Amino acid sequence: MKDKGLVLTRRDFIRGTIGATLGASVFGLQWPKGEARAAATSLVTVVRDKTAMDPAKNVDIAVLKKMLVETLTGVTGQKNTKDAWLSLVKPNDVIGLVPSDHLNPTHDEVVDVVKNSLMDAGIPEDRIRDAQGPRNAKKCDALISIPGLKAHWLTGIGTVLKNYIMYSGSPSSYHQSNSSKLGEIWNLPFVKGKTKLVLVDALYPLCDKGPQPDPRYQWNYNGFIAGTDPVAVETVCLKIITEKRKVIRGEPWPLSPPPICVAAADKVYGLGTSRMEQIQIQHYGWGQELLL
Amino acid sequence: MKLSPKLTLVLLTITMTIVIWGGASGKMNADKPNLPKTVGVWNRLEPPRIINSKNIFKYMNGAGELYLGYRFRHLEVFDYTSADQGNILVELYFMESPDDAFGLLSLDWGGEPVSFDGTSVAISNQYFMASTRALYGGGLLRLWSDCIYTRIMAERETPASKEAVLALGKAIAANTRYPPEPALVKLLPLKIDTVWKLRVARLSFFRSYLVLNSIYYLSHENILDLDLSAEAVIAPYEHIAGSGDPKRSQFLLVQYEKPERARQALNRFHDAYLPEYKKKIPADTGADSPSLFKLEDGWLAYKLIGKYIAIVFECPDPESARVILQKNESNLLKKGGGS
Repeated sequence: MKDKGLVLTRRDFIRGTIGATLGASVFGLQWPKGEARAAATSLVTVVRDKTAMDPAKNVDIAVLKKMLVETLTGVTGQKNTKDAWLSLVKPNDVIGLVPSDHLNPTHDEVVDVVKNSLMDAGIPEDRIRDAQGPRNAKKCDALISIPGLKAHWLTGIGTVLKNYIMYSGSPSSYHQSNSSKLGEIWNLPFVKGKTKLVLVDALYPLCDKGPQPDPRYQWNYNGFIAGTDPVAVETVCLKIITEKRKVIRGEPWPLSPPPICVAAADKVYGLGTSRMEQIQIQHYGWGQELLL
Repeated sequence: MKLSPKLTLVLLTITMTIVIWGGASGKMNADKPNLPKTVGVWNRLEPPRIINSKNIFKYMNGAGELYLGYRFRHLEVFDYTSADQGNILVELYFMESPDDAFGLLSLDWGGEPVSFDGTSVAISNQYFMASTRALYGGGLLRLWSDCIYTRIMAERETPASKEAVLALGKAIAANTRYPPEPALVKLLPLKIDTVWKLRVARLSFFRSYLVLNSIYYLSHENILDLDLSAEAVIAPYEHIAGSGDPKRSQFLLVQYEKPERARQALNRFHDAYLPEYKKKIPADTGADSPSLFKLEDGWLAYKLIGKYIAIVFECPDPESARVILQKNESNLLKKGGGS
């Protein structure tokens, strides 16, 4: 039963009691799944290439293709991209690509490289479509989420979990205290279980919350961050953003508000793990300022 | 020809109406920046896009909450395009008051200060004054001019685009009024004894709890009952070098419309933030000491001062909390607040 007397506050984060308070006050229930989760490990790949994007923000498509190969083989353990894709999706699936289009949009080049790679793997072009927006997702059998890496002023981070906000049909209802509930969107009947790969475009991340892009807080990370566990991928993204903020200010500069949607996606909605000790990070390529 | 009194009155009314409307319309035109059609290699597209509170989410998604968290009137968006140098976006946010436009700039004092009239802004050593009204960085210029908050962003930062962005900023700032900062921010003492100094580069003015949370997270709920009728300022006080622990405390001052609203808000804050503590909000708070609480991240003190609430967070000891609060209260009372 929802206890209206409990309100999640800054003190819960300091005391480490967000679980109990969030469960009771925001969701009307306890952390149901997370505490019982087995200590499984989720794999997240971080593939970087210094030449993927130059300082003038020109993207090198040949380099992106190479990075995608490393990502797919790294995530799936398959030897080539065709086998990698076919271990994630079925040849007859209608596949929806879900880029983000606001704040720090996914580069078109990244979406094109993914689409071409799927076609090279034998998926017909007419079975690959843009699935941003609820109507498009309903027609898809599989989703490849391709958000841009960014912080967000209402949710702390606005990358993986927030990428499906349009599927809710009511995005503004997640702007305020309900931002912690973003994970529930991933469990909607037409979304649940469809996400086969999360591939974050981290070529040019935005580490401040915005709400609009400020180039002072963007930098060439030149990376792809990927995995099949959306919460684990988001957790790694969060770590990169948090570390970059420290570098910029030379002092701790915590995300505000704290990104409780990430912990809630793990502990309330059971979408994956938000615990770094349960995440195996595999890094390929450029290592400078990895921030991990 | 002699006019009848009735006709004279009608003509006088018409004349007055023309003068008044002409004046008003003239004032409005003067208030509206005159943007050039061309700047460098960039040409302005016509007409501007007009965004209001109803379609702001369509234009900028959740970012709209920021502007609605201040007293937003409308937004005009101008696009400057070039053949091969990328575009420049000009956004003019028309706000209800200069305080609201100031508030938007105050959310981030970082960047390179820009002066459009060639003079540097005088800095007070008594109270907070913005050291600049325009800040540039990475191709983005942010500007506070009267009731307008402006963002001008070059898609690609080059010497030419920077020159164009600054030229547009200058055009917007031309003939503008330079109203002072919100009265509330001037209530905060810059120094408290020889121990604490206000970190002015982190001072922000706001009205919404969403904005507060983006600066200093308190709760996902609106536990201070903030809305557009309230005014609030938050800034850290930090130890002056050499005076000991480099600890930083966060000071928050909120002004409500009426003392009763302030009392209700403080009650709500106490219930949500300090549920295990007994409430210490006396009926008449003017002469009382602040209420002090030892929390996980240091000492918290609050005080109800008429229609104001003052709260200090994360103090290293009760004495620091008391002195920061009392000095602010004393400034507030000296400058006529507190009633």
